[in-house]
Amino acid sequence: MATIDRAATGKPVAARHEPASLATALRRCAAFLRRNEPHLWTWGGRTAALVPLVALTLTVLVLTLKAWPAIKVNGAHFLVGSDWKPGNTYGATVHTDGVAHPLGSSYGAWPLIAGTLQSSVIAIVIAVPVSVGTAFALTERIPRWLAEILRSAIEILAGVPSVLIGLWGALTLGPLLANDVYPVIADHMPDIPVFSYFRGPTYHGEGLLTSGIVLALMIVPIIASTTRNLFAQVPPLPKEGGEALGMTDWEVGRRITIPWVRSGIIGATMLGLGRALGETIAVAMVSGSLLNTIAPNIYGTMGTIAAALVTQLDSAFTDGTGFEVRTLAELAVVLVGVLLVVNMLGRLIIRRTGHLDAPAGQGY
Amino acid sequence: MANDGEHQATSRPIIGTTDSRSEERIDPILAALDPDRERPEHVICSQSLTLSFGQKRILDSITIEFRRGSITALIGPTGCGKTTFLRTLNRMNDKIPGFRYSGDVTLEGESIWGPSQDLLDLRRRVGMLFQRPNPFPMSIRDNVVAGVKAHRIAKGKQLDVLAEERLRQVGLWEAVKDRLNDSPFRLSGGQQQLLCLARALAVGPEVLLLDEPTSALDPISTEYIEQLLRQLTPALTLIIVTHNLGQARRISHNTMFLYEGELVEHGPTEDVFERSREERTQVYVTGRMG
Ligand SMILES: Nc1ncnc2c1ncn2[C@@H]1O[C@H](COP(=O)(O)OP(=O)(O)OP(=O)(O)O)[C@@H](O)[C@H]1O
Ligand SMILES: [Mg+2]
Repeated sequence: MATIDRAATGKPVAARHEPASLATALRRCAAFLRRNEPHLWTWGGRTAALVPLVALTLTVLVLTLKAWPAIKVNGAHFLVGSDWKPGNTYGATVHTDGVAHPLGSSYGAWPLIAGTLQSSVIAIVIAVPVSVGTAFALTERIPRWLAEILRSAIEILAGVPSVLIGLWGALTLGPLLANDVYPVIADHMPDIPVFSYFRGPTYHGEGLLTSGIVLALMIVPIIASTTRNLFAQVPPLPKEGGEALGMTDWEVGRRITIPWVRSGIIGATMLGLGRALGETIAVAMVSGSLLNTIAPNIYGTMGTIAAALVTQLDSAFTDGTGFEVRTLAELAVVLVGVLLVVNMLGRLIIRRTGHLDAPAGQGY
Repeated sequence: MANDGEHQATSRPIIGTTDSRSEERIDPILAALDPDRERPEHVICSQSLTLSFGQKRILDSITIEFRRGSITALIGPTGCGKTTFLRTLNRMNDKIPGFRYSGDVTLEGESIWGPSQDLLDLRRRVGMLFQRPNPFPMSIRDNVVAGVKAHRIAKGKQLDVLAEERLRQVGLWEAVKDRLNDSPFRLSGGQQQLLCLARALAVGPEVLLLDEPTSALDPISTEYIEQLLRQLTPALTLIIVTHNLGQARRISHNTMFLYEGELVEHGPTEDVFERSREERTQVYVTGRMG
């Protein structure tokens, strides 16, 4: 009995009693856990819920701290300027506001911000209709076995490493599009606003549209599989109501099935958009990875924030003052900012359109 | 066309009204103008309709005719094929795996499966109201005119006029006129069902199929809908599935009794209930069976 008490109170236990007392301690421990199970669930749940938030906050905090000197020196120019000059890293070091940086360094990331938004918007414009169409085909139109094959194909595509997609985009897709597709589009677009953006030289396949297409390919699986699951949950009764009213399959899909899961599709789109905004290596391989150029037309070479981060890190370390690395950290903070803004826009859209949503779990 | 039924419906007795109805209904001058004059007396005819899903035979050689402007109650124990029969009439069963049929169903003398029959227009002419309200995820106003838009019957300002007209017809206008752009899902169950009725009426159907339309509603809503349905005749022809025998007696002119896919008996409601020719009918209508 004495050993039991000592084990429970955590006092040292004689070695020869160890097996018995350890078991007892474990048992006590288990009893304690069982007694407090509801609290454990509550607190466990709360902690788990906080983990992503804490992780995000910490990341942003660390990045911001690291970037702080660069934020001070680069100022607002960083968001609106269009130059990316590390300066003379082997030359003289100058001080601005007490921060050391190479002579002649000047950073303006506007082309990267614009490129990030442009390529992601193109990706979404392509991916959403394709995904919703695929999901629709998977749930409504095609035979079960074919749907199974398509479904697993999408899941496999979701698992392909982005470096492979990037390589394929750079070696095969880009040249193919530049040779056979882009010139045709460019020749047939009228010279009026918006459309004129599709005219002009089509370059060699590295650029904005190729990046958008490659990104679309990468986010279609995300949006399509989520949307497919959403469609599968739409109750049959409203759809039958549409059919019985003489709507075509297309009208039932457009007016009933898709609106029924509207918020869910917007959510899936935001998920895909987040991935597109942050996608790094594939874009670095097919965009041209420029630092200070906004694409002159939709085929033009350009760069994105994420691609710049990965391509510039190496050379940034050669900056003895450490200023370029701090600038890259600032760039990363900007990317997080873009992601947050996009996320909030998504929530806003859901809130604005949500008042007509079907109630969740409407029992049919 | 749905409206000209309203004043007549109130002036004639409902219960037990049978064959004499068509004679007393219209004076000679109006009769000459009646667009139905040239048309067959029976809107829908089912001729030896036999139907199966895969190996399972659901309906067995059903022959029955539905007179223009009448209400027919379709009764029978659960699983006897009432819903299946009803859904066959606007071809909602066609897509079910293993669907096979023999015999025929005609609408205005023309087979519903005929080559010149347009499926979408057939469904416009033969509307349907379901057991539970099934509003679409769009505003109340858009719900009413959803079918109208799909069939391109009207557009623009006309849609608003039409929506109001139909909502008034089902008595929902006062309740929803200030929230036409709101979600239909916040309406009560009875209101939602009325909305679905307004939606079905908006496309100008000739026949309305109703599958236990009031089984999910309270007695007051039920009574209200029953009264509405009576007002829809004789402009429309109604076929209503119901488990509520009282309802069948209250609103229908004719009754058909299905048992295990077989049409056991049909005729004027009073005859079926009071003077059943068949033992099984008698057992069912006196409540001694399922
Ligand atoms: N999609 C289907 N596939 C196979 N069998 C079906 C299908 N739908 C209905 N059945 C079968 O057809 C028979 C008749 O069903 P139906 O729904 O028409 O009955 P009901 O008379 O409407 O019953 P209830 O009063 O319960 O609504 C049942 O045995 C049912 O199992
Ligand atoms: Mg049924």
